[in-house]
Amino acid sequence: MNEENTEEVKVLEAQIEQLQAEVAQLQRQQQNNHKDMTFNFSGQMQEALLYLCGQSVVRTKEEVVSRLEEEVKEMEEDLKRQTQMNGINLNSCTTKTLQSGDSQLIQKFCVSGYCSELNFLVEFQLTEFKQNQRCQREISDLNVVMDATDLKSFNGFLLNVEEHNDHLLFFRTLRTFSDRCDDRSRTFQHLQDRLLGEQKELLCMRCIPKPFKTTFVNTFVRISETGYCKKTFIILQAWKFFSQLGGLFTYPLVKTKCLGDGWLVLLILKSIYHLQITFRRLPFFFVV
Amino acid sequence: MEGLSSKGVLSHLSVLAVQTKSRRNPPQQSTRVKELKAEAEALMMRREQLKAEIQTHKSLQRMRLSMDKGEEEMDEDSENSQLLQLMAKHSQLKDLLYAHHLIGGYDIIKTSLGKGVCVSVTTAYEGVYLDTYNLEIDLKPVLRITRHNVPPFIPLNELAEQNNIQTNIKAFLDVLSQHLNAHAGRKQQLKLVKERFPSVDVMESNVLCSILVLMFTVPRQKTAVLCTLNYSDHTRCLPTTVHIQCEGRTVSTDNQGPPSTVYNPRLCVMSMLSIRTLKHNKFKCPSFIY
Repeated sequence: MNEENTEEVKVLEAQIEQLQAEVAQLQRQQQNNHKDMTFNFSGQMQEALLYLCGQSVVRTKEEVVSRLEEEVKEMEEDLKRQTQMNGINLNSCTTKTLQSGDSQLIQKFCVSGYCSELNFLVEFQLTEFKQNQRCQREISDLNVVMDATDLKSFNGFLLNVEEHNDHLLFFRTLRTFSDRCDDRSRTFQHLQDRLLGEQKELLCMRCIPKPFKTTFVNTFVRISETGYCKKTFIILQAWKFFSQLGGLFTYPLVKTKCLGDGWLVLLILKSIYHLQITFRRLPFFFVV
Repeated sequence: MEGLSSKGVLSHLSVLAVQTKSRRNPPQQSTRVKELKAEAEALMMRREQLKAEIQTHKSLQRMRLSMDKGEEEMDEDSENSQLLQLMAKHSQLKDLLYAHHLIGGYDIIKTSLGKGVCVSVTTAYEGVYLDTYNLEIDLKPVLRITRHNVPPFIPLNELAEQNNIQTNIKAFLDVLSQHLNAHAGRKQQLKLVKERFPSVDVMESNVLCSILVLMFTVPRQKTAVLCTLNYSDHTRCLPTTVHIQCEGRTVSTDNQGPPSTVYNPRLCVMSMLSIRTLKHNKFKCPSFIY
């Protein structure tokens, strides 16, 4: 009987060893999955996971589903509030955990979204560690990608922001820039509606034909390398432009009252219509 | 007859004795077996649990990927697909909310009864998260800030008035964030200068970090240079005017102007100051405005 027991013990010990190896391998696999995409299982998510893994003894499926639904609804409302207050719409955020331990947590984030009509994709690494009993957070490896059309305004600024990992500055500047651009559009609309009344033909010229391009500076909002957004004075060299066309028209200059923080100079070229110039729209010059 | 029956009884007794003995012995050994069996069971359960978790993770990952792309999830046959979709949605929302917080969002929270809100303004400089400031704002009957931990040298009430907090709370918060971040940036720059260049003396600085006077010694020539940085725009991390004074002879390889007020960008660069402004080549004159 002793021998039988010894046999059984040996068999069991071998089985346990194998099981331990399997469990260890599965744990490694789980950690790797965690690195690819991190999920936070706490609260209702934890309950749901327990249910799915057959571990839950307390909750039924209906309970788990309804509680989770409730939480999802709350979070959707919260997201709406944050989006409205922050002025930035986020489409997606993926998290990868590169290192997780007592001393520090390193995660990689990839956030995409848009602000007004400006799309962005921002990647960065976030390191959390304890220093002097305080939780410190640092960003590194910042990488910002924007649409090619928007890139021109942002180019120098983006390089600077990436070099110094100033991700908060990027988002603040993005908001300010889009606010100013919205301001500009609203002002144009305001002018068209209020000040020009019958002059319905007055339109906004933003795309100037090549031969005349050097005459104007048509940038309204400039971003300096340090993220400072300011409105640019447009150098109005209209007289040059008109003299080039041989002075075939008259142009009344109308100075309006102060609108916010600038003077508005309207140039109405009535005669342009009579010329065979391929302008689809009348020029409208805005000095701020 | 008697002998036979007594022998029978005795042998019966001895058989019973052996049986009892053998019944006593196996418990000692099968305890070990029981332990091992229990351990094996526990390991098997753990293995199954891990397998289930990994499977769930895989399904969730797949759902999240298609959700992030905005694709409509097809109806799966699995009985748990509704729950999995909910979980994927939950995790997506959680990530988005965290992202809002990470990118400097205001973390707006409604306080009880919906009559007020709580906002947080995060500050950071060059990737390092610094202090966070909180404000409690009552919305009714009139919008006003009830509690906050914004330091007194930031003119909170003035900013609130100037930016029409009543009609546009967002604009006010944006301006406040600019001020707080600029201050945090200036403070952090000063801290870094003190840490990295202990030989530089901070002669003067104020709480707002809007005026900074530094004294440093050029290593080779051993000349003292006094550098005054004035940050008159409180929403910027960079100074608006820089004034450099050095005594004695000129201290760089290039000869510059009169010795009383010398401005030499190259000198400043080699003077080890980490403040970014001095690395810009735009400086050509002693004073400039951004």
